[in-house]
Amino acid sequence: MNRFFRMAAGGAALLAATAMSVPMAQAEPKQGGTLTMIYRIIAGHFNATIASGTPTGIPATQMFAALIRYDDQWRPHPYLAESWKIADDGLSVQVNLRKNAVFHDGHPITSEDVAFSIETIKANHPFKTMYAPVTKVTTPDKYTAIIHLSAPHPAIELAMSSQLGVIIPKHIYGEGNIRKNPRNSQNLVGSGPFKLKEFKPGEYIIMERFEDFFLEGRPYLDRIVFKKMSESTSRIIALETGKADISPFASDPQELTRLKKSKHLTLTPDGYSAIGPLNWLAFNTTRKPFDDKRVRQAIGYAMNKELMIKILYSGFAKRATGPIHPGSAFYSSDVNNYAYDMAKAKALLDAAGLKPDADGIRFKTTLNFIPGGAVWKRWSEITKAQLKKIGIDVTLKASSDFRSWIKTVAGHDFDMTLDSVFNWGDPVIGVHRTYQSTNIRKGVPWHNTQQFRNADVDAIMEKAGLENDLAKRKALYAQMQKMVVEEAPVIYINESPYHTIYNHDRVGNPPTDSIWGTSSPMDNVYIKQ
Amino acid sequence: MSDAKNTTPSNGSPGDVDEIFVEHPFRQFVVMYMRNYAAVAGLFVFVLIVGAALFAPLILDLDPFEMVDAPLLRPGEGGHLLGTDNLGRDLFVAIIYGARVTMAVGGAAAGITLVIGLTIGAMAGYYRGWVDEVLMRITEFFQVLPPLLLAMVLVALFSPTLETVAIAIGVVSWTGVARLARAEFLRLREQEFVKAARSIGARDRRIIWLVIMPNALPPLIVNAALTVGIAILFEAALSFLGLSDPNVMSWGKLIGDNRDYLLDAPWTITFPGVAIFLTVLSMSLIGDGLTDAFNPKLRER
Repeated sequence: MNRFFRMAAGGAALLAATAMSVPMAQAEPKQGGTLTMIYRIIAGHFNATIASGTPTGIPATQMFAALIRYDDQWRPHPYLAESWKIADDGLSVQVNLRKNAVFHDGHPITSEDVAFSIETIKANHPFKTMYAPVTKVTTPDKYTAIIHLSAPHPAIELAMSSQLGVIIPKHIYGEGNIRKNPRNSQNLVGSGPFKLKEFKPGEYIIMERFEDFFLEGRPYLDRIVFKKMSESTSRIIALETGKADISPFASDPQELTRLKKSKHLTLTPDGYSAIGPLNWLAFNTTRKPFDDKRVRQAIGYAMNKELMIKILYSGFAKRATGPIHPGSAFYSSDVNNYAYDMAKAKALLDAAGLKPDADGIRFKTTLNFIPGGAVWKRWSEITKAQLKKIGIDVTLKASSDFRSWIKTVAGHDFDMTLDSVFNWGDPVIGVHRTYQSTNIRKGVPWHNTQQFRNADVDAIMEKAGLENDLAKRKALYAQMQKMVVEEAPVIYINESPYHTIYNHDRVGNPPTDSIWGTSSPMDNVYIKQ
Repeated sequence: MSDAKNTTPSNGSPGDVDEIFVEHPFRQFVVMYMRNYAAVAGLFVFVLIVGAALFAPLILDLDPFEMVDAPLLRPGEGGHLLGTDNLGRDLFVAIIYGARVTMAVGGAAAGITLVIGLTIGAMAGYYRGWVDEVLMRITEFFQVLPPLLLAMVLVALFSPTLETVAIAIGVVSWTGVARLARAEFLRLREQEFVKAARSIGARDRRIIWLVIMPNALPPLIVNAALTVGIAILFEAALSFLGLSDPNVMSWGKLIGDNRDYLLDAPWTITFPGVAIFLTVLSMSLIGDGLTDAFNPKLRER
C-alpha cells in the first residue's frame, strides 16, 4: 500500500498539468446532494441550550445558528450577528442582528429570541461558568441586544459560538418547562441552515436545506443524513464502500490505521482545537490514600505514558501534559511532565507511609473505566499492570453502560477513573469546571468530580477568568497549569486522537475550516459529483 | 450410589447377568470406559488442562497481566513460546492462567445448571400433575428465550464479575437437564424398587433424593460433562463480547481482546481458540465415554 502511495505521488506530479482543468471545475461549490454522516451515538434531543456533548452539538449546530462563528485560526466572524462590540470596560456586549434572518417556521429572529436563548442557557446548560457573569440581556430594539456582564468575561465570544450559544425561538420554547418540551426532538423549529425533516430515536436524523436561510445561496447541501453507527467495524465498512461520506470524532486506532489505506478517504485531525479533548486518570481526592498528593504524584510517575500511547493509539495520539489542550492559545508546556520513574514513585509512596506488605502490596484500590470501545478497557488493563509494579493492587470496575459509569463518577462513588474531558474553547468554559472547588456538584456529569480543593488554584482561575488582556491572561493560566499539574488531582495521559474521516471524491469544503469542526454549521460543505 | 446400583443392576432386566456383571460395578465402569479410546484421549487432555490450571502458579511465577515485551510478537520471538498479545503480555502464561478461570466458570456454571435442572426436573417428574404442568411451562419459557442474549442481559444488568458470568450461564442452560431429569423420574417412579420403598413408608424426600436420584444420575452425569463444554463456549462468547470480568484472564477474554488484530497477529486468537477447542472436545469425548460406561447394553458385547 505504501509503495502504491509513493507511486501515486510520483504519478500525480506528472499528471498535474493535464489534470489542471478538472480540479478547477470541481473547486466551484454547487448546490444539491446528500451528505451521509455517521457517528457512534445519537442524542435524544437537539436543544443545545440545555445540554452539552457532541451528539447533541453536531446536529444542533446544523439546525440552530449561533451569533458568531469561528474560523480555524480562533478568529470570530459574524454569523447570526451582523456585528458585535464588547464595551471598553468589558461589562457589556452589543449585538446587532441580521435583519433578514427567520426561524424555520418563518418568524423573524429578533433580539427577544437572543435574550431568551441566553437566559435559557444560563439557567439550564451544564456549563455554569459559560454565562455566569451575564446579569441581564436588554433589547433596545428588534435587532439589537445588549448582554450585560457583572465582570469582564473574556470567554463571552466563544460562548456565543457553535453549540454553546445557539439561538432558539422564544415563541416555541418559551412556554412551560423547556427540558420537557417535545419540540426539542420532534417538529423542531430552528434558526440554522438545515431543518429537521425526520428523527428516528436511536437510529438516524434527516435534515433538509432551509430555503430561507439568512446567508444568501447557502447551504449547498440539500440534505444531511446523520446515522448512528456504534460498531467500529460497521463504520469502517460504510466508509470504505462509500455508503457514508463523513465520520467525525474517529479515534479508534484500528479504524484509523485501516482507513488510512483507503484511496478515496482523507483523515484529518483538524477541527478539534476548540473541543480540546484530553484523556486522563482521575482520583477521588477525598478518599484515602488519594487525599495525599504524594500518592497521586507517585502514580503519575509510575505510569509509562509514552508506552501507553504507543500501544493504545498506534502513533495517532499525542501526549497531554496539563489541564489545557495544546491546541489552545493558553497552553503552557512549562509543567512537571511526570517522566516515567519507578524509583521516584516508590520513594513517594514510602514517604506517604504506604510500605509494601509481605506480598509486596502497598494498598488495594479500584479503577473505573468508560464502557464501550476496546481502547478504554486496554487503557485500564495497562494502568493496572503498571501500578502493580509499584505495589498498588488495582481491581478494575467495569460499568454495564455509559450512563452507569457517568452515575458512578458524578456520584463520587469511585477511587480512580479514566476520563475524557473536553476544553470547550475557552478555559473558563471547559477547564475551570474540573478544578474549581465551587464546582463540586454531586450528580452532575463532568463537574469537579475529583473534589479537588485548592484555594490558590481557585484564586488564580478567578483572576484569569476576568482578565481581558491576552498576554496577562496567558501568564495567569501558565501559572495555573503548573500548580494543577503539581497538585495532580488528575494524571494527564494524552490528547484524544480525534480525526474527521471523509470521502474526498465526494465531499467539497469539508467541515474542518473551523476550530469547532463538525460542531459548526456545514453550510459551506458541498457534494462534488 | 453404588449401593443403589447393586440393588438395581440395570433397567429392570435381571436376567442379563453375565461374567462382567459379577465384578465390582466401579471396575466394570472403568473397563467399559477404557474400551473407548477416544474417551481415554479426552480424559488425558482434560487431566492435562486441569493440571495446568491447578499448578500454574507453581510452574510459572508470572502475572498473566504483566506486560513483558513488545505487543504482538510472533510465537517464539523474544523467548515467548506462543508470542505476545496486543498489550505485550505473554500469551503462553495467559493461556495457562486462563485455564483456571475458564475451568472454574465452566465447572461452576455446569454445577448451577445441574442443581437447578435436577431440582425442577425431579419435582416435575415425581409429583406430576399440576406441579409438572407449572414447572414445565416455566422450563419452556426459559427454553424459548435465546440463551446468549439472556446471558448478555444478565451480565450487563449485574456488573461483569466471574460469579455473575457463571450464574448467567447456569440460569440460561438448565432447561435441558430439567427435561432429562423429568423423563428419568417419570420412568423410575413406576419401578418396583420405588414402589417397595414407598410401601415401607419412605417419605417423598427420601424417595426422590435417595431412591430415584442415584438411578437417574448416569444420563445426567453424561449431560453434565457436555454442559461443562457448553459453559466454556458460553464464557468465551461472553468474554468475546466484552462481557467478562476484566480482572481475570480467560481464554474468551484473550480472543475478545485480540480480535481487532486478527489480520495482523492471527496467533493471538488461534492459540486461545485451540485451547477452547481442545477442552470442549475433551469434555464431549468424556461424555461419550461415560455414556458407554453407564450403558449396560454395551457390556454384553
